[in-house]
Amino acid sequence: MSEITPKDAPKLPLKVLRWFCDPALLEDVEGDLMELYHSRKKPDSLRSKIRFTIDVFLLFRPGMIRRFQISNQLNSVAMVKNYIITAFRFALRYKSYTVINLLGLVVGLASTILILLWINDEINIDKFHTKADRIYRAYRNMHQSSGEVMTTPAIPQPLELVLENEYPEIDEVTLVGWEVESAFRFGDDVSYEMGRYTSPEFFSIFSFPFLAGDPETAMNDVSSVVITERLARKFFGDKWKEDQLALGNTFNIDNRKSFTITGVVKDPGPKSSIQFDWIIPADEYIQRNNWVESWYNGGFRMLFTLHEGADIAVVRERVEQEVNEHTNYEADERIYLQPFRDSYLNSNFENGVPSGGRIQYVRILLIVAVFILVIACINFMNLATARSNRRSKEIGIRKVMGAHRGGLRQQFFLESFLLTIASVIMAIGVVLITIPFFNGITGKTLHLDLRSIDVWIGVAGVTLVTGLFSGSYPALLLSSFKITNSLRGTIKHSRGGAYFRKGLVIFQFALSILLIIGTVIVYQQMQFVLNKNLGLDRENMVFVEMERDLARQREVYKTELQKIPEIVSVTNTSGNPLSHGRSTGGAEWEGKDPNENVEINVLNVDLDFMRTMRMEILQGRDFSVDFGSDTANYIINEVATDVMGFDDPINKRLKVWGQEGRIIGVVRNFHMDSMFEPIDPLIIRYDPNSTYVAFIKTQGNIVSALDGIEKVTRSLNPDYPFKYKFMDEEYERSYRNEMTLSTLINIFALVSIFISCLGLLGLSSYSTSQRSREIGIRKVHGASIANLVVLLSRDYAILMGLAFVIAAPLAYYVMREWLNDFAFRTELDLFIFAIAGIGVFVGGALTVGFKSYQAAMINPVNTLKDE
Amino acid sequence: MGKYAIGEFEEIVMLTVAVLFGDAYGITIKQEIERRMSRKVSVGAMRTALNRLEKKGFLESKFGEATAVRGGKRKRYFQVTPFGKRALDQIMETRKQYWKDIPSVAFEFKFI
Repeated sequence: MSEITPKDAPKLPLKVLRWFCDPALLEDVEGDLMELYHSRKKPDSLRSKIRFTIDVFLLFRPGMIRRFQISNQLNSVAMVKNYIITAFRFALRYKSYTVINLLGLVVGLASTILILLWINDEINIDKFHTKADRIYRAYRNMHQSSGEVMTTPAIPQPLELVLENEYPEIDEVTLVGWEVESAFRFGDDVSYEMGRYTSPEFFSIFSFPFLAGDPETAMNDVSSVVITERLARKFFGDKWKEDQLALGNTFNIDNRKSFTITGVVKDPGPKSSIQFDWIIPADEYIQRNNWVESWYNGGFRMLFTLHEGADIAVVRERVEQEVNEHTNYEADERIYLQPFRDSYLNSNFENGVPSGGRIQYVRILLIVAVFILVIACINFMNLATARSNRRSKEIGIRKVMGAHRGGLRQQFFLESFLLTIASVIMAIGVVLITIPFFNGITGKTLHLDLRSIDVWIGVAGVTLVTGLFSGSYPALLLSSFKITNSLRGTIKHSRGGAYFRKGLVIFQFALSILLIIGTVIVYQQMQFVLNKNLGLDRENMVFVEMERDLARQREVYKTELQKIPEIVSVTNTSGNPLSHGRSTGGAEWEGKDPNENVEINVLNVDLDFMRTMRMEILQGRDFSVDFGSDTANYIINEVATDVMGFDDPINKRLKVWGQEGRIIGVVRNFHMDSMFEPIDPLIIRYDPNSTYVAFIKTQGNIVSALDGIEKVTRSLNPDYPFKYKFMDEEYERSYRNEMTLSTLINIFALVSIFISCLGLLGLSSYSTSQRSREIGIRKVHGASIANLVVLLSRDYAILMGLAFVIAAPLAYYVMREWLNDFAFRTELDLFIFAIAGIGVFVGGALTVGFKSYQAAMINPVNTLKDE
Repeated sequence: MGKYAIGEFEEIVMLTVAVLFGDAYGITIKQEIERRMSRKVSVGAMRTALNRLEKKGFLESKFGEATAVRGGKRKRYFQVTPFGKRALDQIMETRKQYWKDIPSVAFEFKFI
């Protein structure tokens, strides 16, 4: 225990205790609290810290509190009352200041609260599972000969048994399949539903509560299906439970087989990263797809729980080579384990270790929230000092009457807190109103739960920080005025004060410029991604996934479709070329180093693929009916040519999945993955019998084209509802995260400029009011209004120039880091920086110019007669 | 209770201090009360009671040793003063008298 030092305990409550506690009692009370704190089970947990704080709070009682000097001598209640009254009077007297102040704070606080709600939601995803701390997820790192590491969540299924039987530390293991869509038929009702194949342990590892059925036995039979409440309602009505309609009924799934409903669970809901509407035992899938039972393939994700208290490091070390040991190190594939609670936010991998993911968006928005709040607080400070001229007489009188600096400081802090509290209340109103729009943008279901204590703790925290921060500078500055000067009304601020204020303005505008540059670059990159030439034509491309019945008649289907006038051409493939998932490490080619191991994508197509996708053949020829043996021939992309090391790939031998053939052509690279990734090597096989997706190029009226497609599909496949997707929409959908981020940053950057300009408005009115006499005299001597506006605006122009000089390099650095995540990215154009700088400058100049113009228009008589 | 104005909680605190003779400081007192009375005691409530009792002269205290767990702060050990002992005696006497004077029929509930 001797290594424990006092620094372990939370500092703030301790400080508060030292402040209020009677010094005679302090030492042993503090000691007792410390001892108590360390005797708790987990001294450093949040819980103990809260307990500690509560204990301190409970000590705040008569008998423990020391005698305060002031409370002995002054009637502080009356003073506080007076402070409040004065604050209100000033707020009402200078309405424009109050409105500017409130507006800035309300907008800033509302933005901050919205962002914090979003962040809170993000970091709480997947935390609801009771075993969340013990769940781990396996990844497979495929080490390529090039030194590159490709990470996939697809794990060889045999590893499940190894983990279960040979690892004493591991409790339960589950396979979790990819989300697949299947047609569910009950009586006459049929619809497509998304779900997964998992092991029975799934429901023991994860906490998805059962509303009906027994979690222990629900997955025992391979012909059973567990559905969500949503699905139960959809098929059996709202009273499915009361009327016991769900359990025991059977669904016919994919026209393949009947499955008995053995359980109904609650919907996974927005707090879960694992989404599904149905769960079927993985064994059912494995029975049909024995390829997954190999150590060389990965068909499932794999997650497991550790026994309580077991050491993950031991498992981690042992499991790493597990795949290699079972495959004789044919391809270097190592298993990596990630805590499940981290996997949602850290889903990107680089060199075989997590390299971020959504956590970056959480961080970016957190920074944006802090920026906005800081900008709003700086406004408050600047406006409060701007008002100081008007208040200097009050301060003088108060001092003459015996007020000391402490009292005045209290007064200004109180004022800032009153304003902050008023703003917070209004901001909560704004949040309640805007939250539906915010949810619309982010696709979340956030809400501000005013009954939740956490929300109030958060709100109180934000209030405290804002009040203290924004009140600090005015409180220190205003209370330091000299009596005689302030009564005479000739407050001259020190040089240091002026620099400080200018520094604040620079800081404020630097933050705004940073946000604007960031916004523009994110927007540009999004446009770049969405408009980039992908190497194939995704416009007007409809695709239909062919079910078994349809796939059997694929040639008929194709011929029928081509009869529709709006359809240009049709091709069948094994998958969407823009989000491809099929690959092999076992391709062999002429001159391949036997030890080399490279993962290459494989796409199966039929004859019209290149033509329909409008791809460009760079060398050789397309598949053709004129050559009888094209089923054994391959077309590769440029990257594959490089990887295989061919100068002239045409007619070279290539063996894929045991089939030996020749390369007949090279196709221009096209993007198969997201823009975050470089283009991977690809082999295109001519194999019409292994194609499951029909891509249909349309022209002209899209509605009648879809009509025609639906008719043909239904006539060949009457049992299924018709379902189609657009290739370009699917592509855009895969960038939804980035689009959301882009929109959010856009909005909040605008908010920050708005608040900054409000501040500038207040500040320029401060400086013009200080210089009112100077302006009067200049006018009397014949200065024109234009002269005066330039004179008054010049200072701020310099400040904004400085802000730009500070912000631009910083923005350059930060945005380069962000863009580096993309393998394909837009250029960082100096033009963007210029735009952002000029934008802010114009905004600021208009604000200052407006105020200066007002000041210059005043009749000099009004300003000079006071003297 | 005459000149010895002691509340019920204060009485328990004093008794605990007496029970723990020689080892009565904040934490041990708190834990002993919690153990015997099966109730939660906050540091605040306990410490104010100790403080008040000391001011009234029923308890006296002196500083003891400091330990690392306590962040280098010394313990304050409490002890019952003779005056405190007299107060406790008197409370017990008063209570005893009460019990003695209760007519036996007052507690015979089965006939009611």
